[in-house]
Amino acid sequence: MNYTNLVEKLLKKCIKLGADAAEVYFQSIRNLSIQILNSEIETIEEASSQGVGFRVFTGNRMGFSHCNNFSDRSVEEAILKAIEFARLASPDEYNVLTDDKTVSEVTGLYDKDMSAIPVDSKIKMAIELEKAALKDQRITKSSGSSYREKEMEIYIVNSNGIMKNYKTTSCSLGVSVVSEKGEQKTTGGESCSRIYFEDLLPVEEIAAVAARKAFEMLDPVMVNTQRGAVIFDSDAGRALLGGIITAVNGERVLQGASFLRNSLGEKIASPFLTIIDDGTRPKGLASCPFDGEGVPTRKNIIVENGILKSFLYNLKAAKRAGVKSTGNASRSGFSSLPGIGAHNVYVPEGKNLKNEIIAATRKGFLVKEITGYGIDPVSGNFSGGASGLWIENGEIVHPVRGLTIAGRADEILNAIDMIGNDLDINRTFATPTFRVAEMQIGGK
Amino acid sequence: MEKTYVVDIPRRKFLKLGIKGGIIIAASPYVIEYLTSCSGKHEIFPPPEINREMLDKVIAHALKKGGDYADVYVESRTMRQILMEESKFKSGLYGVSQGAGVRVISGNRTGYAYTEELGYEKLIRAAEIASYVAHNGNQVIPRPVAVTERPSYITVKVPLQEVADEKRLEVMQRADHAALSYDSRIKMTIIEYNDEIRSRIIATSEGVYCKNELPLLFFIVQVMSDNGSSRHMARERLSYHSGFEMFELVTPEEVARNAAREAIAMLEARDAPAGVMDVVMQNGWGGVLVHEAVGHPLEADNIAKGIGAFTGKLGRKVASDCFTMIDDGTLSNFRGTIDFDDEGTPAQRNVLIENGVLKGFMTDVLSARQLALPRTGNGRRESFRYIPIPRMTNTYIEKGKDKPGDILASTKKGLYVQSLSGGSVNPITGVFNFTCREAYLIENGEKTFPVKGATLIGSCMDVITNIDAVGDDLDFGPGICGKGQSAEVTAGQPTVRIRGINVGGTRG
Repeated sequence: MNYTNLVEKLLKKCIKLGADAAEVYFQSIRNLSIQILNSEIETIEEASSQGVGFRVFTGNRMGFSHCNNFSDRSVEEAILKAIEFARLASPDEYNVLTDDKTVSEVTGLYDKDMSAIPVDSKIKMAIELEKAALKDQRITKSSGSSYREKEMEIYIVNSNGIMKNYKTTSCSLGVSVVSEKGEQKTTGGESCSRIYFEDLLPVEEIAAVAARKAFEMLDPVMVNTQRGAVIFDSDAGRALLGGIITAVNGERVLQGASFLRNSLGEKIASPFLTIIDDGTRPKGLASCPFDGEGVPTRKNIIVENGILKSFLYNLKAAKRAGVKSTGNASRSGFSSLPGIGAHNVYVPEGKNLKNEIIAATRKGFLVKEITGYGIDPVSGNFSGGASGLWIENGEIVHPVRGLTIAGRADEILNAIDMIGNDLDINRTFATPTFRVAEMQIGGK
Repeated sequence: MEKTYVVDIPRRKFLKLGIKGGIIIAASPYVIEYLTSCSGKHEIFPPPEINREMLDKVIAHALKKGGDYADVYVESRTMRQILMEESKFKSGLYGVSQGAGVRVISGNRTGYAYTEELGYEKLIRAAEIASYVAHNGNQVIPRPVAVTERPSYITVKVPLQEVADEKRLEVMQRADHAALSYDSRIKMTIIEYNDEIRSRIIATSEGVYCKNELPLLFFIVQVMSDNGSSRHMARERLSYHSGFEMFELVTPEEVARNAAREAIAMLEARDAPAGVMDVVMQNGWGGVLVHEAVGHPLEADNIAKGIGAFTGKLGRKVASDCFTMIDDGTLSNFRGTIDFDDEGTPAQRNVLIENGVLKGFMTDVLSARQLALPRTGNGRRESFRYIPIPRMTNTYIEKGKDKPGDILASTKKGLYVQSLSGGSVNPITGVFNFTCREAYLIENGEKTFPVKGATLIGSCMDVITNIDAVGDDLDFGPGICGKGQSAEVTAGQPTVRIRGINVGGTRG
């Protein structure tokens, strides 16, 4: 459907009702969710929805409101309320709307065939996935498989004459299983998300990963509290990226609430580490032609060979910092104001095979899962629960569960000494396997 | 499997909020007048079209192809969020959302669809989609819905609808001032004010028709301290299903000073120890540990699937004698209080574990059917966009006989946890993790120095068998619980001691 007329009408209404400048952010979503348990449908949910967020300005004071009901009365009430809120704020020179009419060229964001694929074949696929994950005898129960898809359309118009829109799709297929042995119980799960339905991995491949995650953790052995090498596999590596991305949020930096606030241009990590945020990657799950304020997205190098190169900004934080927006205004939907967030974040791969990294480790911990908050973006402290495999003399000797790992971000990042070549670029937060030469490991 | 977690503030929201500069100015009389004049423009809820006859027709349509049960949930929510950062009024946000969901249960299957337009045609269309799962040809004849009275545990003196925004800004300014004047090392505050009114109607094929309005306030003060060499972001929250009188019971200054106290205390934090040690958990929000570690595994959905950590353990001894755990959706005005759940079942006090013996699970309509257990009033949903699932309300460890001072004094060495940020649990294995926000080392029965945010990990079974002291000082704290969708909860506990938890510090 074309919503151009609707959003233009809403923008005019903002001005008519008293706003000096305004932005209308419109979102239309269609969702399908199928959950399977023991080869039976457990839940099917389907819905489509629309909503709109209004940012209005009186002078350069700003107010915001949202609604999901497009009757004149509801829309007018929402706009008036936003204008009231704007009048309560005092002028702020950093409040700006974009006038950049360009968008970034990003290919592969929309699968036009996805919705036409019958629901029954999507159900069948999820059932097949669950069956495949139960094949291994060490897997005793399923905790369910699922198929989800989403189709979304975004429009941004503002009183600087901007009118932009794009459409995107995504789908995901996942399964979670249980492995039991005596009193022991372990779980394993895996999912695959893509923009295009046809790009989903074969069910056998997803199933095998989920099953292995469950049974390879059986019969763990507790180790002593000690210092040792810690190898982060891609699932665990992702947990470390989150805190770094929050710490390079330009707004938090301006507030002094980031452990990296004084580190721009400085060495914050070992030369092996590069971190890139790319909003333009073809078929990227977090790619889009423009960000949550309508600014064209781009590829940002955050850390290059250990040197902190850039913070992430939306328009407002950029203006306050005296720089340009990096195209990182994020919205978690029509009901939220633009904040700052990353797109597709990844650590480029290195040269080592994962097995070479393991073989080069005399004594260490291959972490498969980290629980907790990751790196604290304010203090830079890191502490988490961890499970995975124990390494001695370059070989995996047994699983370990219920350990903790901890350290300071600067120590951890500077101690990275090996990077693997197994990056899965399809994840929105992706790292290859990497090794930290030494960290505190908490056990018995 | 949905991983569950709980946090004391909407963290993701916080991370994403942008900078919205500006300085609060006192609202002029013109503005106040304008606010009142506008309030008459509200859409009326429910719209006249949503009446009991219409809901009967929708339910009948949902069960046309078969199925055992159907319900309709109609919701309208009005929310306000005001954000103050660095002593400036950054943004005001106002939102209205409405919609209705239709659900069909047929055997173990659930079909669900929702619409944001509250017209007859749209609801029939949702019923049609939801009925997709009906396969057993079971012809249930729905009972016509009739108004079903439910007791209320929520009182309001100053309705949120009648509060001018100026008053909202005023409590924020008071908190900001109290925090900044607490100590010169307090450098910045982030203050978030949220309120909402959720109106809901629940109509079921069993003839239930319930309607009410839940007002909710959530006030969060975050305070950052910086002494040049270290920084700490502290926070304190206040939340009740209540009118604006909440700020008379607990003043914004009190909230702010508590946060400021933590921010200053933690500046001196040293590296935390690593390894297994005894943990004394102070009364209040620390109850979130059992909310996660024990509460989620006691929600009946994973039990019905036969995979939950407590499967097959009903009536058995699962915890130490001094451990009693309760979920109670009827505590006056508490954040987790609901009057009735989102399936129309009245809220109640559910004893989950009594003196160490497992007494009951928390159910929704579906899991109660599957397990042939009573409904406990725990079928909750985030909004009309979600199906109800078993969730906690106000969950706590019942108070014991020990004196908090004695518990500390009798602990030779360990960690004293004053507050936790939040954590998560795998409800199948019962393995949990928590992050300490304010914690101290215990040496020879005394709190010594503060330690940096360490992770606590363990398994739920170990924790509840290793609790060996329970204080007489039960208290509560508000939070947000996530399980694929979010729910407002409180968690509570008296001071307790847990023997042997693995602490993730940096010192060997």
